[in-house]
Amino acid sequence: MLSIADNYFSQFELPVGYEIDLDRLNRQFRQLQVIVHPDRYAAAGDEQRLRAIKLSSYLNEAYETLKSPLRRAGYLLRLQGVDVDQVEQSDLDPELLFEQMRLRETLAELPRDESALEQLDDLRRSAGSRLARRREEFAGSLALDNLEQARKLFHELQFLTKFQVEIAKVEDAIFPD
Amino acid sequence: MSLLQISEPGGSPTRRTARKRAAGIDLGTTNSLIATSIGGEVRTLADAGGAHLLPSVVHYGVDGVIGVGAAAKEQAAADPANVIASVKRALGKGFDELTGSGDYRQYRFDPARDTHAPAFLTAAGARDPAEVSADILRALARRAEDRIGEAIEGAVITVPAYFNDAQRQQTRYAASLADIKVLRLLNEPTAAAVAYGLDSKDHGNIIVFDLGGGTFDVSLLSLQKGVFEVLATGGDTALGGDDFDRLVADWLARQCGMEEIAPQDYPTMLRAANRARETLSVATQAELIWGGSRFSLSAAEFAKLAATLVRRTILACRRVLRDAGMETGDIDNVLLVGGATRMPLIRRAVAEYFGRNPLQDIDPDRVVAIGAGIQAEVLAGNQPADDFLLLDVNPLSLGIETMGELVEKIIHRNTAIPVSKSQEFTTYKDGQTAMALHVVQGERELVSECRSLARFSLQGIPPMVAGAAKVKVTFQVDADGLLSVFAEEASTGRKAEVLVKPSFGLDLDQVEKMLKESHDHARSDMAARALREARLEATRLMDAIDGAIGEDAELLEVDEHAAIDRAMDDLRKAMAGESAALIEERTEQLNNVSKDFAARRMNMTVGAALRGESIDAMESQSD
Repeated sequence: MLSIADNYFSQFELPVGYEIDLDRLNRQFRQLQVIVHPDRYAAAGDEQRLRAIKLSSYLNEAYETLKSPLRRAGYLLRLQGVDVDQVEQSDLDPELLFEQMRLRETLAELPRDESALEQLDDLRRSAGSRLARRREEFAGSLALDNLEQARKLFHELQFLTKFQVEIAKVEDAIFPD
Repeated sequence: MSLLQISEPGGSPTRRTARKRAAGIDLGTTNSLIATSIGGEVRTLADAGGAHLLPSVVHYGVDGVIGVGAAAKEQAAADPANVIASVKRALGKGFDELTGSGDYRQYRFDPARDTHAPAFLTAAGARDPAEVSADILRALARRAEDRIGEAIEGAVITVPAYFNDAQRQQTRYAASLADIKVLRLLNEPTAAAVAYGLDSKDHGNIIVFDLGGGTFDVSLLSLQKGVFEVLATGGDTALGGDDFDRLVADWLARQCGMEEIAPQDYPTMLRAANRARETLSVATQAELIWGGSRFSLSAAEFAKLAATLVRRTILACRRVLRDAGMETGDIDNVLLVGGATRMPLIRRAVAEYFGRNPLQDIDPDRVVAIGAGIQAEVLAGNQPADDFLLLDVNPLSLGIETMGELVEKIIHRNTAIPVSKSQEFTTYKDGQTAMALHVVQGERELVSECRSLARFSLQGIPPMVAGAAKVKVTFQVDADGLLSVFAEEASTGRKAEVLVKPSFGLDLDQVEKMLKESHDHARSDMAARALREARLEATRLMDAIDGAIGEDAELLEVDEHAAIDRAMDDLRKAMAGESAALIEERTEQLNNVSKDFAARRMNMTVGAALRGESIDAMESQSD
């Protein structure tokens, strides 16, 4: 039997909060998947298999939401009643926008060949350390119930994460499949 | 709080008294294997001559005899057009993809087949890639029966992790043609990790580098207490040992001063190249003989020829690490799988990139089949499943076509499966009552650069202004990686669905029927629309003429009036029928006979307008 909990955190018996024990999350997730995964019902009837697929999908969704620092942040804000999908211009700091534009320009100007690899790695590293700092600040804002600040930081996390994806895309363009 | 219940595991599915004969099958590009449990240990089965590898080659003889394996391979030089090799690469591909690559240049294709489902033209008639694969599977099943005296009741068949939906579907279809019940499609790298994992009780992050005859997979798995979790996977479905052979064959052709290799020479040349490549795995020099001359290829020269291919494999590793957010230092073990990893230049490149020597304890040719055999034992309930579980990911992004031929990804690659995700879409035209859904697979943003999986449509959306309708599209991928898509309109609850992959509880025939129906549906929808539009156009014209005659009958000649009446009668009769073409033809006729009348009316109207204008002009001047 698996009961579906109120939120993803309690599903994995974790305290609600940005800082998370990933090892524990991972252990809990595996323990629960061992119970519900469709492979455990290879010989069972369709109805049970369908249920297993649904529960297993739900666990995957919950796990991936909590595992991803960005999705976890968005989920926490949503739990607090903040609608992070609606972004207003005023939610964004002009300085942040300018900086993001500059970063994207740097990326766009890189040569599209292997000589760009080193700079791509540099850009990724600096975006990575920025992300790490902003995550700490986000955790702090959330802990202090400063939802306005947390929301702003969430959008910056979105920008930085997206930027990492852009870097990856440039790499993919240089080395197509 | 919702509460869903599901029965405790370890119950009925895993506790059985009667053993079921289960097998693992590695259906490879170059070689295939079958493994099953013998005396409590899963082992690959050899043929009567002691060979474990069954060459994935099928010969369709003029005498109607189908030969599989080494015997078929022998015929390649004598009868190249009837010896089908590397068929795995052809699975799920269209005609253009097959002939465009040059890999299948020695074959003829059935011109009667749809270009999306090509078939080889052999002495035994047209054989599509799934049918050829089925012949290989049958040979493996026969081998198992001969060796253990029992029929196989179910099998786990491995596929490259990077196989797309069409390729997986074709693999399943091949198994059904061969009457083999598929317990699960298992990704090859995962199978390899299972074979190693259960032997060594390893923990940590494992890279499986699998370079087979025709496909290349690299996967990153995390193993903890018997649970294998695939964190990321990547690779190239069109890269394998065969490509290295081809490089050597092309090199040989250049040495001989040949511009192009004649199709009939190609198999022989490839075999010479393959032998040279294998020699270079143990020696620093290989000799090739062609046209009475000797050519010598050094390991260094071969490394130069192969540099680009080797780099492609390392770049794929790099991408997988990136997807998982890891560095080479996070990797605890690297496993080499596939015969092509015997090449020293591959081992060196992998060792150098990951900074550690890769494991190759289990025969790289057999490890996948053994892993599949272990998983088959568990799924058949022959082995307690206590902690053993494979958590897999979706290897390629799945999405839907939106405006501007762009792809909106719904399930991203490397998402853990099973998974179910929804997204809302809306109409783009006022009063739009149907929505066409085009399901695609791939990483690119343009539809044309992704693989088309299915098209279906949701009908009966109530007319609303553009953007008001809400259509929820749900993608569901089960543990085999099989996709179903559902669409539902929010206000009416109108639904449509398509099973892109045969899912459990639904056999292939049903799926095919559903797909065919949705196809036919689309076609009949189009025909119905054409008929509706033709009728509308005809009604519009007749209304206009009726009105015109009512107003300006005096402009009509007597015989002209009669001709128009006859044409109107003809058109009315056509409208009672179902032929859009006939209605269009009669409409055109009516248009023709009423043309002069319309022109005369037009002249009158324009004249009246001009008169009116001049009056206005005078009025304005008098102001």
